[in-house]
Amino acid sequence: MPKISRGFHALCIASIMTFLLAPVILVFPISFSADAYVAWPPSAWSTRWYVALLHNEEMVTAFRNSLIIAACVTAITLIVAMPAAVALTRWNFLGRDALTSLFTAPLLLPSIVLGLAILVIFAGYGLVGSWPGVIIGHLVITLPYALRVLITGLSTMPAFVEDAAGTLGADPWRVFRRITLPLMTPALVASAALAFIVSFDEVVISLFIAGTQLKLLPVSLYHYVESWTDPLVAAVSALLVLGTLGIVLIVERAIGFGKAVSK
Amino acid sequence: MTVSTVDADARSGGGRLLLTLLLPIIFVNVIAFIAPVANLVAMSFREATATGSMKEGMDLATWSSLVGDAYYWSMLWRTIWIGALITLVTLVLSYPLALFVSRAEKAKALLIVLCISPLLISAVVRTYGWMVILGDQGFLPALLRSFNVTPPRLINSQLGVVIGMTEILMPYMILSLLSGFGKLDTTLEQAAETLGAGPLTVFRRIVLPLSMPGVLLGCLLCFVLAVSSFITPKMLGGGRVALLATEIYDQAIVTLNWPVAACLSVLILIVFGTALLFYGQLSKIVE
Amino acid sequence: MYLEVESLEKRYGHFAPSVSDLSFSLGQGELLGLLGPSGCGKTTTLRMISGLVQATSGKIKVGGQDVTRLPTYRRNMGVMFQSYALFPHMTIAENVAFGLQMRKARHADIAKRVESALAMVHLSGVAERKPRELSGGQQQRVALARALVIEPDILLLDEPLSNLDAKLRDNMRGEIRDIQQRLRMTTVFVTHDQTEAMAICDRIIVMNRGKLEQIGTPHDIYENPATPMVAEFVGRINRLEGQWRSDGAIAVGDSLLQVKDGGGTGRVLIMIRPHRIDLGAWGTASAGSAEENTIAGTIRHVTYVGDTFQYEVATTGGLLQVEKATSSMADPFQPGDAVTLRWKTRDTLTFSTEIAG
Repeated sequence: MPKISRGFHALCIASIMTFLLAPVILVFPISFSADAYVAWPPSAWSTRWYVALLHNEEMVTAFRNSLIIAACVTAITLIVAMPAAVALTRWNFLGRDALTSLFTAPLLLPSIVLGLAILVIFAGYGLVGSWPGVIIGHLVITLPYALRVLITGLSTMPAFVEDAAGTLGADPWRVFRRITLPLMTPALVASAALAFIVSFDEVVISLFIAGTQLKLLPVSLYHYVESWTDPLVAAVSALLVLGTLGIVLIVERAIGFGKAVSK
Repeated sequence: MTVSTVDADARSGGGRLLLTLLLPIIFVNVIAFIAPVANLVAMSFREATATGSMKEGMDLATWSSLVGDAYYWSMLWRTIWIGALITLVTLVLSYPLALFVSRAEKAKALLIVLCISPLLISAVVRTYGWMVILGDQGFLPALLRSFNVTPPRLINSQLGVVIGMTEILMPYMILSLLSGFGKLDTTLEQAAETLGAGPLTVFRRIVLPLSMPGVLLGCLLCFVLAVSSFITPKMLGGGRVALLATEIYDQAIVTLNWPVAACLSVLILIVFGTALLFYGQLSKIVE
Repeated sequence: MYLEVESLEKRYGHFAPSVSDLSFSLGQGELLGLLGPSGCGKTTTLRMISGLVQATSGKIKVGGQDVTRLPTYRRNMGVMFQSYALFPHMTIAENVAFGLQMRKARHADIAKRVESALAMVHLSGVAERKPRELSGGQQQRVALARALVIEPDILLLDEPLSNLDAKLRDNMRGEIRDIQQRLRMTTVFVTHDQTEAMAICDRIIVMNRGKLEQIGTPHDIYENPATPMVAEFVGRINRLEGQWRSDGAIAVGDSLLQVKDGGGTGRVLIMIRPHRIDLGAWGTASAGSAEENTIAGTIRHVTYVGDTFQYEVATTGGLLQVEKATSSMADPFQPGDAVTLRWKTRDTLTFSTEIAG
């Protein structure tokens, strides 16, 4: 390839990459703006919006609620998805594939439709705006992710190790505890992280079923942006990006470690 | 490698255990997925009174009022063509990037993580990032003004929605494309070159056809997500870009007309189904 | 008999059975080979014996006790898997100790037995390593030690050598045989490689399409194959078609062949191994005798492969492959040469009922 066209090619790739990452990166400088509204370039730099954030009771509460909800959802997701994944990979039964598709179907449904559907039915039972209501609503979308990761983890295990344990005298429960469970730790960590992030970030379903009583961070952010134009949200966004990065790094270490074990 | 599964009848005694393992997930799916969706479809055949309560009985009244209303027709078309436009732009931008990433020798894993990781960040945060960039006092207008160009209306417009949605959906497209490029063996291209094909011909005759399954999958995914997305059009459209999804929200939360919201939801599902049918047909042709 | 298998059958759904009507038995300390092409049901048979696959019908008895419905973990059989199936998250010592832990052996006892098992396979130095740090050959020894340390009633080996390179394979083969003899371990050995089976097995079962074709010593299987499938599977062989005559000879082309215990009617399939045929210049031969068959032919093609010449010879009965060691033939034949082929009557294998359309 001639030099010019290669240079042009590299430039194109770099610009597309910049486009992809621009919104995530630009919230950082804006979050340090000293201005009372979002403007580029900021007239001066400060940490005033981080300070404002700490004193914004709604945001702090919403953040705490979101953390609690995400933690609960993650725990329940693992408790529910783990046995299901074992059943769907270790048993051979009629309708297994259909059932697997059914359990991943909520991912294909637009979340706006799912949110509305859950709202309509939960409203009748007073679940809207309640903790259990929101947790169940989130479970519907975290379960398919976790199930997929766990099924992949279970079906890419080194061949025959479970059989081998059986021939050595381990009953099914001990095979699970001594062989299956340790070997799928990476998949468990990954699905837990995914469930946590999906639940913490979920906005559409929360918008429908969290109501006005139960404050959740993405919903509060959304409403804040609707009525305010100051860089407070940039500060929250910057923190969220860093938090997500942290989780990704933890998972990377866990899975990298796992890969080393199973190689 | 696959794990050997002990064959079915070796575990025939475990029928009850199997049911126990599956019961929790079935329970969650029934109460928060199957029942609500079935109920929603049924809801579309009810009719709301002026006070927001529901009339008795089921009929097609809500449906017929929707079908007779040109407002909804134009909204449907706008949703579909904006969805298609977003899909096209996303494809055009993602294809070279995905090709580059799949060919990268150094730092391939890092590049993939960079392309995919935006998925892990809340759509609200990413859309807010676009408000920072596209807003009247934002980064891009400032940049344009420094070159003495008068910026077009970027926010609270369809243009803004398309830009934001494109970026939001790119990771999905890149993922699909990468899975498609997986089948692409560079020796095939070398073989074509030894047979006398120039770079353009190699791309047109070898690379493009072999990556078609990934392209189709990515397009399906992006179209479906674009048609049903709500947060980004709402935040970047500023209420001026009325789409099916935003209308569902308004009807459900603001107007409190659940039957209309239910009808529009079913309509979105019909658009989904149609897209899926198209995808199936096109995949057959490509195969 | 120590291991008895009676009319074993395995069916998956409505497909043709993977294994059917399989019966055999083997004595204490015997090494039995299950030989056959891939998909013949040999691995399924092994997995039924180990309990990893449940037999549809039939019986498996070990030392007179019926184990057919016993779950794998109660069967006490040492299994060595083709992929070794070492536990990747455990050290070598932990892998070998696993079976003993399941049997609730005492701690000190476990350590001692693990040590001696690893010593037996010459791997004492690697106890604290992880499987991935070992070579393929070493991993295989660990798998063997792990299967043997539990003092199994029966040792089951599933294609244990197929993942090793050629040199290592021969070594390991001998070593497995040594240990098996030393421990007098009743062993079933699954393989698709007839040389491997011949080299170490006391008896061999040849399987095809889920059925037993023949059971016998390696010599039996090679010299007196029960079916054309067995004859073809255990080594290169020629096929000719002929017609029984009322005097017990067979007409092939314009020649007559004698067989050791002949007799039959209609068409017949004749098989002869290429290296059992002798070649002579045309005219040097007398007519066939009771001990020897001769047939005239013309050399079509000669291939030199180092230790042998391989000839393709056209006869009136059809094409025959002939194999001769190179040292014995100072002056090889050329294509076009007229030759006489001769071989012992007892090397002429006949199959009356097996002529394929």
